[in-house]
Amino acid sequence: MNNTVTYNEQELVLSLKAKDQQSFSYLYDNYAGALYSIVLQVVPDKELASDVLQEVFVNIWRKIESYDPTKGRLFTWMLNVARNLAIDMVRSKAYQNSQKNQSMPGSEYFDKGGLSTQLTVDNIGLKKIVNKLKTEHRILIDLAYFKGYTHEEIAEIESLPLGTVKTRIRSALIQLRDHLK
Amino acid sequence: MNIQEYISSGIVESYVLGLASNEERIEFEQLSETHAELRQAREAFEISLEQHALDNALAPSAGLKQKIWSDINLGQVTAPAVNIRPDNKTQPFAPVRSISFAKFLAAASIILLLGSTLLNFYFYNQYKSSAAQLNELIASNQQMASNSNIMQTKLQQYERSFEMIKDTNMAVVAMKGQAVAPQGLTTVYWNKQTKDVYLLINSLPQPAAGKQYQLWAIVDGVPVDAGLLETNAPVAFVKMKNIPKAQAFAITLENTGGNKTPTMPIYVVGKT
Repeated sequence: MNNTVTYNEQELVLSLKAKDQQSFSYLYDNYAGALYSIVLQVVPDKELASDVLQEVFVNIWRKIESYDPTKGRLFTWMLNVARNLAIDMVRSKAYQNSQKNQSMPGSEYFDKGGLSTQLTVDNIGLKKIVNKLKTEHRILIDLAYFKGYTHEEIAEIESLPLGTVKTRIRSALIQLRDHLK
Repeated sequence: MNIQEYISSGIVESYVLGLASNEERIEFEQLSETHAELRQAREAFEISLEQHALDNALAPSAGLKQKIWSDINLGQVTAPAVNIRPDNKTQPFAPVRSISFAKFLAAASIILLLGSTLLNFYFYNQYKSSAAQLNELIASNQQMASNSNIMQTKLQQYERSFEMIKDTNMAVVAMKGQAVAPQGLTTVYWNKQTKDVYLLINSLPQPAAGKQYQLWAIVDGVPVDAGLLETNAPVAFVKMKNIPKAQAFAITLENTGGNKTPTMPIYVVGKT
């Protein structure tokens, strides 16, 4: 679909809230790829990620009323919708069971390409930047951002004081910002 | 609180990426309302994050948009290949689609019915007004035809009059007005062969009620009745009685129905 119409952010939000089909089509055409990339970083399975992306856009369409432009840009809101739904998927029982069946002990050391729909996501998007960080930072961002654990949960998983977790995450985020510039 | 320190603490990134706790989030939003530089820092990070995500976009599968459109009931965006494919994956959607297709058909047929009804009404009105116009045209055509008949009759009369005037056998007797009608003038056209008499009223006073003009042929000094002139006679020639022989013609005013002998005075008179 080629859209000749372009929107600035405010027009796009207003049109979406008015349930304008053309603006939603524009939104999909311009942002589906970026959001798919985000989802894949959380859910590496292409088919599952595709299902999540479908849910993401349905949610955007249905919940656009709840988006508040004073709290951030439209993309930030969509990014968080995508991340939250992707994490929900990863935490679902169905997903957990399918992963158990696939990952036999030690399978992560070989035959990574054997799982045809599994992407190597370490080299896309934010992960690419996160992988440049020191290990102690990388692990915490991975747990917080891509796996959705709270700071308290991470402190427990990593056996670190809560204060250290917070400090390291903040420090990692500042480095992340500098890499994004 | 030093706002610059706050901005560079990593809270902006934490907030935007959704990693801030509830308390941190509320505090950030409150401070954003009063500190423009905080909002600017937030927006700058959001834009760089968005730009990075757009730069790292990965194309989703081709059919996904179609699926999303089906989910939110926006209808089909591309060729409806999914409708015909007996694929297991499309099964859960099939009944939904067929219901909405049935609804679509029902809606379409109602619209068509309404459209057809409106068209029928429109065409019926068109027909009625056409029929009325046709009747008007027929009436006006009949009017023209009868007018034309009247004209034809008049024309024939004038043609006959003209033929009479042209006829070389026609004797013309001009009858001049007398004392009672000095302006009076009539003309007798007398065919010498057929002896038919035609009278042309050039000018005569209007007769009083109960009176009528009578034409007399003077034959050897005796007045012979040559016919009565109808009060409302046409302007053209009026055929009178056949007169074989006469030395003069005269007109008198008589009681309606005429007289056997003329009552004086004579209105107009002329010699043959």
